[in-house]
Amino acid sequence: MAGEPIDKVYVGNINVSARRARDLLLGKLKLGEVVDWATTFSLWPVHLLTSCCGAEFAATWSPRFDAEQYGALPWISPRQTNFIIIEGTITRKMACALRITYEQMPLPKFVIAMGACALDGGLFYNSYNIVKPWEVVPIDVYIPGCPPPPEGLARAILQIRKSIREKKLASKWLIEGWRPDKKYVTPKDDVCKWWRP
Amino acid sequence: MSLESLAEEVKKVLGGFAKEVAWRKGYLEVLVETANVVEAAEKLKSIGLDHVKSVTAVDYPKESKIRVTYHASSYSREDLMGVIVGLSVDLPRDNPEMPSLISVWDGSVEFQEREVYEFFGVSFKGHPDLRPLLLIQELAEKKVLRKDFIVKEESIYEGVPFKYD
Repeated sequence: MAGEPIDKVYVGNINVSARRARDLLLGKLKLGEVVDWATTFSLWPVHLLTSCCGAEFAATWSPRFDAEQYGALPWISPRQTNFIIIEGTITRKMACALRITYEQMPLPKFVIAMGACALDGGLFYNSYNIVKPWEVVPIDVYIPGCPPPPEGLARAILQIRKSIREKKLASKWLIEGWRPDKKYVTPKDDVCKWWRP
Repeated sequence: MSLESLAEEVKKVLGGFAKEVAWRKGYLEVLVETANVVEAAEKLKSIGLDHVKSVTAVDYPKESKIRVTYHASSYSREDLMGVIVGLSVDLPRDNPEMPSLISVWDGSVEFQEREVYEFFGVSFKGHPDLRPLLLIQELAEKKVLRKDFIVKEESIYEGVPFKYD
């Protein structure tokens, strides 16, 4: 190699190399399963407490129920999380904040809607100032109840882990660029037009 | 301080401004004219009622008026700390306008007047930042806490519409 310019790199055909690398990683080494396995044990929810279900959220991570045993740790910044638990009512101004938080999170990301208000309005079904969360972000698991007990939230986390492993949600979204159940989720795109400062 | 002596003091300090001084379930309510409300508030502040606990409004559609009430109380005079004095103004319902009391009780009325503005459509002249606080702009234009804004109700029996008394 002596005497050659150091800025030259010999890679051959880059498309062939990329295809070979993809076949090796996805076919032989089964990288997708590794991604799914790793995602199930690192579902970190972001702190987005909007309503009274937040009390049950706190109880779920308390020592008695200890949801951290599933690898879920509530974290501050949306840039370092991949999981939103919508706790209850979303008002029209909060819908914009929810959508911004969702857009800030890195792929793959999952959403749980918790409580009767997040399902269909609940107590505030005829209020002028709430939105349904499924109009704002795509939702994976719903938990009924007003409020749901901590066992319900723990079971929803187990359910989302199961569907990630079975449907390969994380690996297809991350490696192949699509999500198996993406066609069922149709959030609105203009949520932040509702709130004009 | 008993309510009787407070009523005497308030009557004395307000002079001819008070149209009506009444006790309503443990607090003292004073009704004044819209033109005199700033002077009346300054006189109430001069006896030690130095802040406002809440600003609220009531809609009377049959009498075609909106009554805006300021609940004033005190942090500085010890005998006035347990007392609430309501300073009320009657406004016409089709164009409710009154001078803002932010020049008198500055910090404590700022966001509460914004709240009355967005829910009842009362515009406060002289308020520096009159825009909706909790609602979005489209809902604030509908004046949602007035009595003629009806929300959809779910009836007990299916197919039978819900009726208000």
